[in-house]
Parts: sequence; structure tokens; C-alpha cells
Amino acid sequence: MQRRSTKAQGSILVWTVLTIAILSVLAAEVLRIVTIKHQNALQTSTWQEALLAAESGIDLGIMELRKSLYPAPNHAWENWNNTPGNGVVSYGLTTVANAGLAGTPMTIEANVDAPAGLVDPTTGWQYYRIRTVGTMPITGPARANDNKMDTRLRKLSLHWERFTNGVLTAHAVSAPQVSRRAEAIVRPVSAFAESIMSVGTLDLTNQNIVIDSFDSRDPNKSTNGLYDPAKRQENGDIATDGNLIEAGNAYIYGDVATNSGTVSGVANVTGIERTDFYQEPIPVGAPSWTGYNATPSTVTNTATLTASATKGSSVSRYQLSAIAIGGNQTLTLAGNPNGSQTFIEIYVTGDVQVMGSSQIVLQPGVTATIYFAGNVDVSGNGIINSNNQPSDLQLYGIQPTDGLSRHANLGGNGQISAALYAPGHDVSINGGGTSGHVFGSVIGKTVTMTGVTNLHYDEALASSGSMINSYKIVSWYEDNR
Amino acid sequence: MGEIRTKMFRGGAKRSLAGFLLSETIISTLIFAAISMGLLMGFTALERNYAATTDFATNHADEMRISDYLALDLRRALSVEAARNDTTIYIPSYYDSTGSPQTPVLDGNGGVYYGAAGSSVKIHYYLSGGTIYRQQGTANPVALAVNVQDFIFDITDAGKVVSTRITFNPTFKAGRASADATAATAFYNTTLLRNTRTDNQIGVY
Repeated sequence: MQRRSTKAQGSILVWTVLTIAILSVLAAEVLRIVTIKHQNALQTSTWQEALLAAESGIDLGIMELRKSLYPAPNHAWENWNNTPGNGVVSYGLTTVANAGLAGTPMTIEANVDAPAGLVDPTTGWQYYRIRTVGTMPITGPARANDNKMDTRLRKLSLHWERFTNGVLTAHAVSAPQVSRRAEAIVRPVSAFAESIMSVGTLDLTNQNIVIDSFDSRDPNKSTNGLYDPAKRQENGDIATDGNLIEAGNAYIYGDVATNSGTVSGVANVTGIERTDFYQEPIPVGAPSWTGYNATPSTVTNTATLTASATKGSSVSRYQLSAIAIGGNQTLTLAGNPNGSQTFIEIYVTGDVQVMGSSQIVLQPGVTATIYFAGNVDVSGNGIINSNNQPSDLQLYGIQPTDGLSRHANLGGNGQISAALYAPGHDVSINGGGTSGHVFGSVIGKTVTMTGVTNLHYDEALASSGSMINSYKIVSWYEDNR
Repeated sequence: MGEIRTKMFRGGAKRSLAGFLLSETIISTLIFAAISMGLLMGFTALERNYAATTDFATNHADEMRISDYLALDLRRALSVEAARNDTTIYIPSYYDSTGSPQTPVLDGNGGVYYGAAGSSVKIHYYLSGGTIYRQQGTANPVALAVNVQDFIFDITDAGKVVSTRITFNPTFKAGRASADATAATAFYNTTLLRNTRTDNQIGVY
């Protein structure tokens, strides 16, 4: 009996060892597969995060470009190696280490340059190229994926980095990492990208208002450069960086956008209603001219200011303490008698008042840019733009720095044809002549339209060489060499 | 009587030690067969499960790779022609003939282009002979995943965003996988197209 019992115990031991061995082999195989898959998933997620880092570099570049639009001191390009200059190939590089969430050792390199070939000949606007590299360290061993097709896609730098200073030349790395490279081309965006934009409330008040667009450059969208109702376009977008638009059932041929806000009276909107609008208007600083025409220093009676054929010439730059005309007085912005293009810039440090039957007349061929620091009240015969091109009369409200509110009330018997940018002013557009037509674009702190029956946005303003308010990406490419 | 019974018992015991009864043989054979069958079935099930799990994991990795490839090209796409298991994406001609990046050119309408005006690089994704390929321009197609005859990749073109859905037939059960089982393998990805599309003029920015 003892011998039979020993055999049985030995048999059980053999079975047990055999079973454990088989299970161990299975477990080891499962562990091997799981480890490989885990490593694959880890490398994939790291590869994805590297793209986030690269795209963050594009955001950094755009942010610095946008900061550079603010009045000085704007602190743009601080801590960058260089400043990308207009028309000059330049080099700006920054490295942001440990920029990831929870201190993830994410590294971002951004390089912004201004290729000479990327200058818009019609506006002089410089397009910028932003090249970025996002790098993430790979945790775990420097082991290649079990599938070479994954390796071909993700191009992990386990021992060698493919690029050295932007050139496709490999160099050794001390620890495994993954880098992704992206290139974006950004172009300037005009301050007049919408028909109406307000920082706060936008109130159209009158349900008879028609807002649409035309393009004075395109004969298919205008006639002789003028608005033609038969060629109406549907880009008369209105937007607020605030959260309230009182559309008043206006006929809006375009989109309506708020910053997470609400819009009332949208029954006659042809476009879409968006709530994702965010665009902080760039404040306008006082002009910093090196020289200007000192005479006159103020306008309180009939006067003539002469434009120059040279844009930016000091003789056609005027700094006035105020414009205050009334009765039958006229301020003439005179150009060449032959109507050829001339330029004039006026900086009014105080208020602009056009009352009674007075008027400001913009002669043919004159392109006027008027900056105002105080309040604007235009009634009477208003501002007569002989060219009927909104881009020829640009009005900029300088951002108040004293904390006091400012207003800009534009009205009068004449037809208003202008582009008004005053994000620090409460803007009110009244009337617009007997026909109630306003041509151009209006940007204000708040915007109220009273008695206006038609606002026709000229799409040419979006690329007229006017003030730049932002930059937008026009091309994006991931360089996955 | 008592002795006789004792002898008979002893005699019977000796006979049983000498060999198996038929019934014992049958029972032991049945038990052996049952245990063997159990072991065999167990190992077979384990092996099939292992194979199915490995297959699932491999297919899932293939899904991820195909999806990542598609997303890579869709992000920079200029236009998309979507069809089941056959999708064409056009991307900018970013590289010159030497393979180096080139400086873009203004198109006069607020945009830019690389290379010649209107040029682009065609990327073709397709399933053929159980392999999913990616062909860039006229270069030789590159296999993205092999043994994927049961894969289906669908592209939903919504303009600014394009969604991809990739499925395969899992092999946990004998025979054809159910529709629910196949649907459960779906790998989704939604990609925001960064460039303004040339086929429908839809832009993100």
C-alpha cells in the first residue's frame, strides 16, 4: 500500500508541475503581448501629445504676432531670440520646457519668420511663417514597436533624432523621444472683417434695417465699384465679443455671432447663428508721428486741409486739438484737382463736432485716416465722402486711458460711407441721409443703429490695408519626414 | 461458514489484483476520456481564445495606425473624396523635387499655395487583396495593414471636420461575426481640417 501511495503522489506532482509550466508559459506569452501593446499604446499617445505641443507652438507664434499689434509697450517677442521683421527673413526661436499639463516635460520650439515673398503687394501686409517642433519624451525602454508599419508612421527617436537644427540630419539622443513638426502660414486680418462688431451690446433697434455686403473691387459684386442691390452678397456678418445682440428682426444677409451669448430677433437672418465668437479688438494708440503739419492746430471755422500724393508725408499729417464747426461751415479735405489719389491723416486730440448745416467734405481722390481721442458728434450735412468708397475714409477712435466713457455719434443728412473703428467708444449711427444708407463697417464698444435702414458692408475693407486686428492661419502642414 | 467466506473473499481479492474487470476498464476509460477531452477542449479553447485575443489586439493596433495615417493627411488636406475602403485626399505640394520644404506663394485671394498654382499631392487609401495601402502621388503603395480583408473604413465628410470609422470582424466565435460584434470593434476619429478646402471652400479659421 505504501508503494502505491508514493506512485500516486509522484503522479500528482508531475501533473501539478506540468500544469504550472503550461500556465506559466501562457501567462508569460500573455504578459509579453500585453507589454508590447501597452508600449505601443504609450508610444502612440506620446506621439499624439507631441502634435499638441507643435500646435501650441503655432499658437505661441500667433500670440506674439498679435501682441505686436498693441500700442507700445506691448512686450511682444520678449524672451525670443529675435524679432521677425517685415519683409526680412528673420529668425525667432523659443523653447518652452515642461510646458505640458502637470509639468509634463513637453518641449516646444517655435520659429517665426517673414519671407520677403509673402508680402501682399496690394496691401503691403506681411504674411508670417511659423514652424514649430513639439517634443515629448517616451517613457519606458527604447524599444521599437513590433510592427514596422507603426515605426514608419510615428518615426520615434529612440536613439537618433532625425533633425538637427531644422535640417534633416540625424543626431544621437540621450533618451528616447518623439518629435512632430508643423508649419503654418498666417495672414493679417483687417479690423473691418465684419459689417458690425461690438465689444458689448449690439442693438439694431429697427426691424427695417437691411444688412448685406458688396465688394467694390469685383464687378460681379458691385457696379462701378458701388453697391448694387442686384449684386447683393451675403457676407454682412455682425458679431459681438459680448453676449447680446438685439437684431430687431433686421434682414441680415450674413452670420450673427456672439461670445456664448444670445441673439434676439433673428427671424430674417440668412446665415448661421454662432456662439463661439471671440475677438478682442486691438486698442488704437495715439499716432507716434515723427513730424506733422502744425498748421492749423484746431478747426473751428471753415478750413481746408490738403492731402499729399505721398502716403505718410508729414505735410499731410495734421494734429488738431479739436474740430468744432457749425452753421454753414465746411472742413474740406482737399486733394489734387485732377482727382488722383492723395492721402491725409488727421489726429484730433479732443472732440469732433459737426453741427448745424456744417459738413466735412472729402474731395475726389483723397484717402483720409482720422484718429480721434475725444467724442465725436456728426450731424448737419455730415461727412461727405466724394469717392463713395468706405476704405477712403477710415475713422479710428483712440482707446481712452482715463477710464471715462467716450462716444461716437455719426449722422447727418449725407450718406455715410466710412469705416469706423472705435472699440473704446459707444458708437451710435443715426440716419445716414434721407435714404438711410450706410456703406462700410462699424466697430465699437457698443453699437446702436438708430434710423438706419441699410448697412452695406464693403468686403474690400477686409483687405484694404487698413488696421490689422489679428492673424489667421491660411495654410497648415505637418512635416512628417 | 466464516472460513469459507473468508477464503472466497481472499480468493476474489487475488483475482481482482490480477486484472481489471470489464466494468472497471470501461469506467476508467470513460474517466480518462472525459479528462482527456476536458483537457483537450480546455487547451483548444485557450488556444482559440489566445488566437482571437491576439487577432483582436493586432487588428486594434491596425485600426489605430490606419486612423492615425488618415488623420495625419486629413489635418493638412485641401480636398477629400470619400468612399468606403477607397478614399483620396489631396494635400499641399509642400516638398520640392529634392524633398525639401518650399516657401509658399501668395494666391492673390488671401491664401497661399506651395509649388505650382493649383498643384497638390494625391494620397490614395484603398483596400486590395486583404491589405490596406496608402499611395502618395505616383510612388509605390505602402502597406498600412496586412491580412485585413475584413476591415471596413468609412469616411464621413462634414466639411470642416471629417470623421473616420474603422471596423473588423472579431473571431471570438466560430463562423461569421455578428453585426453587433463587428460594430463593437469600431474605431472612430474626428479630424478638424486645418486648411481651407479647395473642393468646397470651407475653412476653419
